[in-house]
Amino acid sequence: MGTKTFERLRESALDVEPLVCARCGFCTFVCPAYNDTLWDSQSPRGKLYQLRELILKNQPIPEDFAERIFKCTLCGACQEICQTKIPLLTFWQKVRQEINDAGLWPKVVHLLDESIQSSKNIMDLDQEDRMLWTDMVDDIVEDRIDKPAKVAYFAGCNISFKGTLAPIGENTIKVFDHLGIDFTILGEEEYCCGNPYFVGGEWDKAKELAIHHLNKLKDLGVKTVVFNCPGCHRAFNEEYPHMLGKESVAGIEFLPFSQFIAWMLREGKLKFTKEYNEVIAWHDPCELGRHQNIYDEAREVLNAIPGLVLREMKHSRNKADCCGGGGLLKGTNPLMSVRISGRRIEATEKTGATILASECPSCMMSFMDGIENTGKKIKFKDLSQIVVEALGL
Amino acid sequence: MLLKKQLQQIADIVGEDYFSSEEYMRKLYSHDVGALPNLVNDILKTQVDAVAQPTSPEVVSKLLQYCLKNKIPVIPRGHGTSGYGGALPTKAGLAIEMTRMNKIHNVDTSNMTVEVGAGIIWGNLIEELEDQNLTVRAYPSSAPSSTVGGWVAAGGSGIGSTKYGGVSDQIVDLEVVLPDGRIIRTSSPPDDIIEEFVKQEYNYFPSDDEYIWAIKEVEKDDFDLTSFFVDSNGTLGIITKVVLKIIPLHAIRPFVASFKTKEQMIWAMQEIMKETRPFYLHFITEGFNQMLTDVDMPTHSQHPWVFLCAFEGSKEQLDNEEASLKKIVDNNMGVLEPQEVAEHEWDERFYPMRIKRLGPSLAPSEVYVPLSNLQSFIERVDRHFKGESFALEGAVNNKGEVAVLAWFLDDERKTIAFLMGWYRSLDFIELGLKENGRAYSIGMWNVSHSRSFFGKKKYASIAQLKKKTDPKNIVNPNKVFPGPIQLSMRFNYLIIIAATIIAPVVLWLAGLWVGDIMAAYGLEWLAVTNLTSALVAIGIGLFAGVAVSEIANYVPINFMLTMGRPFLRLGRKIFH
Ligand SMILES: Cc1cc2nc3c(=O)[nH]c(=O)nc-3n(C[C@H](O)[C@H](O)[C@H](O)COP(=O)(O)OP(=O)(O)OC[C@H]3O[C@@H](n4cnc5c(N)ncnc54)[C@H](O)[C@@H]3O)c2cc1C
Ligand code: SF4
Ligand code: SF4
Repeated sequence: MGTKTFERLRESALDVEPLVCARCGFCTFVCPAYNDTLWDSQSPRGKLYQLRELILKNQPIPEDFAERIFKCTLCGACQEICQTKIPLLTFWQKVRQEINDAGLWPKVVHLLDESIQSSKNIMDLDQEDRMLWTDMVDDIVEDRIDKPAKVAYFAGCNISFKGTLAPIGENTIKVFDHLGIDFTILGEEEYCCGNPYFVGGEWDKAKELAIHHLNKLKDLGVKTVVFNCPGCHRAFNEEYPHMLGKESVAGIEFLPFSQFIAWMLREGKLKFTKEYNEVIAWHDPCELGRHQNIYDEAREVLNAIPGLVLREMKHSRNKADCCGGGGLLKGTNPLMSVRISGRRIEATEKTGATILASECPSCMMSFMDGIENTGKKIKFKDLSQIVVEALGL
Repeated sequence: MLLKKQLQQIADIVGEDYFSSEEYMRKLYSHDVGALPNLVNDILKTQVDAVAQPTSPEVVSKLLQYCLKNKIPVIPRGHGTSGYGGALPTKAGLAIEMTRMNKIHNVDTSNMTVEVGAGIIWGNLIEELEDQNLTVRAYPSSAPSSTVGGWVAAGGSGIGSTKYGGVSDQIVDLEVVLPDGRIIRTSSPPDDIIEEFVKQEYNYFPSDDEYIWAIKEVEKDDFDLTSFFVDSNGTLGIITKVVLKIIPLHAIRPFVASFKTKEQMIWAMQEIMKETRPFYLHFITEGFNQMLTDVDMPTHSQHPWVFLCAFEGSKEQLDNEEASLKKIVDNNMGVLEPQEVAEHEWDERFYPMRIKRLGPSLAPSEVYVPLSNLQSFIERVDRHFKGESFALEGAVNNKGEVAVLAWFLDDERKTIAFLMGWYRSLDFIELGLKENGRAYSIGMWNVSHSRSFFGKKKYASIAQLKKKTDPKNIVNPNKVFPGPIQLSMRFNYLIIIAATIIAPVVLWLAGLWVGDIMAAYGLEWLAVTNLTSALVAIGIGLFAGVAVSEIANYVPINFMLTMGRPFLRLGRKIFH
C-alpha cells in the first residue's frame, strides 16, 4: 500500500489524465456539482486543472481542495461527455483514495468506515435487526433465510435498515411469491456490499466483504441474485470481479429488479393485465445507466403495463441528470444534494408526468427530500411499487 | 495587484456570491484551452486578480465604470473554450465571466429571431429551441460548453456555416456595455458614435448644409456597428445580449465518404459545393484518421481521406441532395460509408480533440484557405512541418473557404521543446496566407495579423472606436490591438539582476581585452580594475537593467511574437 503523493494515480497510470484534459469544458454543464454553483472550482474541468498543477509539482492535495473533490455525486456524466475519453469515474475514486492516504477523508466517510468495520452495515446497527424490513412479508420470508436456492434477493443496507425504504424489499418479495420463485435471503449474513468503499476509493477494505458474500452465495447454490439497489448491484456485477477476478463470480448472474422483471415478461411468466392509468417519467439511476449501460429493461417493463404512459425527460438515458444522492454527497454536502434533486423534479414536472419513477433506494431518498424541498406535487415511486400495484398484489 | 479595498468594492458591485479572489479561482479563470509555455507565464501577468460573474447589464456597466476609473484591466470571458489567447489576461486585472447571463429573453417566430443573454451555452439554447421546433442556423463544435457571446466575440465558423455562414451572418443585433459603462444596442448606436464615423465623410462638403445632412443620413443607415463587435474579442466592450437568426427545425441527413487520395476527396468536395448546399462539410486528413485509430476511436472508413457531409431540409430536398452526393462520390472514386458510420461521425462533430491523448498536449492553429487551394495548402504544410507530429481537419464555409485546423502533438512537460514548438502555430497561419488565405481569429496570438484580418478600413474604424470609448486600453488589453506588453514583476527583477551582474563582468573583460581602445576614447575609467570601479560598474548595470526593463514594457506584443518566431524555429530544430 503506497502513500506517497499521487502514487495511487501513478500506479494506475492515471496521473497523466489532468494533462490529457483539453479544458474544453464539455463536462461542466453536465456536472450537477458545477451547475449548483456555476463556479469552475466545482467542475470536473476545474478540479482536473488544479490537480494538473499539483501533480506536476508533486504537491499534496490541500484540505479545502479535498473537500471540493467530495462535492461530486460520482454520477459519471463527465466521463460520458468527455472530449478526450478520460476514465473519470475511476479517476475520481482514485483521487478520493489519495485523499484518504493524506488523512483528509470527510468525517462522514470515516463514520461509514467505522460502522462497516464494527457492525458490517452502514448504519452502525445490530445485524440482528437486519431483517426488520421483512415485517410485512415475514410469512413469505420466514423459512427462506440462509436456505439453499437458485435465486437470492440482496436487499442492501438502505432497504434493510431504513423504514421508508423497506417497502421496496417487500414489493420484490411479493413479486417473487406471485411468481412462485424459490428464493433465499442471506439474513444476518448479508453485510454491506462495500459500495461506500468503492465510492471512497478504498477497494482493499471491500475485499473481505466481497469474499464473504460470494462464498455465501456459492454455499447456497445461488445462480441469480436480484437487487433493488443499483449500488449493491454494481458492487457485485462490476467491482467484485474487478477486485477478485472474473472467475470469482463465474456461474452467478446479478440482476437489477428491472432486468429480472423484463426476463419474466419475456419468458411469459409474468403478464400485466390491469389498467394502470398513470403518467410516469423515468429516471435512470447513474449506477445502472451510465455506469453499467443498463437502460432498456425498465422501459420495457413500464411499456408492458396497460394504460401507463411513459414520458422521457429531456435528459434521459446516458444523458440523465443525477438525483443528487450519489458519491456520498448526501452525507458530505446534504444541502447541495437536495438542490440537485430539486432540479430533476423540475425536469419531471416539465414532462407533464405526475409520477417520477426509478429503481434505486438512494434516488428515492434524494427525490423524497427534493419533493419536500421544492413543494412540487410530484410523487415518487420505485419500480417495484409500480409493478406490485399494476399486478394488484 | 488589486488592493484589498478594491476587491471589496468590486465584490459589493457584483455581489459576494458572484465574486472570488481566491488563489485557486484566479488560476481557473486565467486559462483557455491552450497550454502556455512556462516562460510566457514568467514574462507576462497571466493571472487575473479576481473573477466577477455579473448577472445583469447594469452590473456589467458598474463594473466597467469602476475598472475604467481605477485603471483595472478587464478580461471578458465566456467559458474559456477558445484557444487564441483572447480570454487570457496579460496584465492581471478582473475576469468578467458571463455564464450567469444565460436567459432566453425572447423568441420571435414572425421575424425568426431569438434574443439571449450572451452567457448562454449554445447547447442549452439549441435544446430549448428544439422544444418549439426551432433551431439556430450555425453553432461552433464547442456548442456543449461555449457561450453565444464568446463565439460572437471570438468570431469564426462552425457547424451549419457551410450553408448559413459564420457567426457574423447569424447576428441581428447586440446589446453591448461599452468600456465607459454605457449600455447600447448596436442596431441603434448612440449619436456620438454615429457622428464619430460619419463626420470624416461630410467634412469634405463644409459649406453645403443640406448636402451634408443627406450624406449623413445615408451613412447612418449604412453604418453597421454590430459588425464591429464580431471578432472583437471583447476589446470594444462586453456583449450582454445577442439577437440571433433562427430557422425551423428540419431533419439532418449526414453522410460519410472516404477516398484513397486527397485529390479525389478535394475534387469531390469542390463538386459538392457547386452542385448542392450542404449544411456542414468537414474533412479529415489521412494523418488525422490514423491518429483517431491510435486513440481507439477509428472512423471505420474504407479509405484514409474522409469527409462528413450533412444536409438539412425537407425530405424532398434531402432526397435530391443525397442523389447528387452519391453521384459525385462515385465520379471521384470514393466510397459512401454505411449509415452507422455517418451517424457516428455526425455525433463526433463536437469532438475535434479526441487525439489529444497522443500528446498529451496539443498546440492548435487555424487559418482560412480557399477550397480551390486546399490541396496545395496541405502539400505546403506537409513539406514545412516534416518531422513534426500533426494532423489537419477542416470545414468549408458558405464563401468557399475552408477553415483548416492544425493540431500539433506536443508535451508541455518538456518545457523547452514545448516553448520552441510555438512557432508552428504562427508559421501555419503564414503558410495559409501564402495560399490566399486569411487568419481565422485574432485573439492575442494572431494579433500581428489584425490589420489584414479586418482589412485596413475596418481596422481603422474599430481602432477609432476603441480610442474613443477606451482610451486607457482597459478592456482586454493586447488583444486585436497589439499594444505594449507589461512584464511580470518577476521578469522585471530578472532583467535588472542580470544586468547588474553582467555589466561588471563585461567591463572587467573589456578592460582586459580592449583596454587600449577604451583608453583611446577616454573610457578607461569604465574598466573594472578595483573595488571602486566595480561598484561603478554595478551602478551602471543597475541603471541599464532598469532602463531595459522599462523599455521592454513598451515592446508591442506583435513585435515580440514576430521577432521571436525565427529563434523558436531554430530552437525547436535543436531541442525536438
Ligand atoms: C472542442 C472545441 C471545438 C471548437 N469548435 C469551434 C468551432 O467550430 N468554431 C469556432 O469558431 N471555434 C471553435 N472553438 C473555439 C471556441 O470554442 C470558440 O471560439 C467559442 O465560441 C468561444 O466561446 P467561449 O464562451 O468559450 O469564449 P471564451 O473563450 O471565454 O472567449 C473568447 C473571446 O471572446 C471574448 N468574450 C467572451 N465572452 C464575451 C462577451 N460576452 N463579450 C465580449 N467579449 C467576450 C473573450 O475575451 C475572448 O477574447 C472550439 C473549441 C473547442 C474546445
Ligand atoms: S461524476 Fe458527476 S458530479 Fe462528479 S465530477 Fe463528474 S459530472 Fe460532476
Ligand atoms: S470534457 Fe474531458 S477534456 Fe473536456 S474539460 Fe472535461 S475532462 Fe477535460
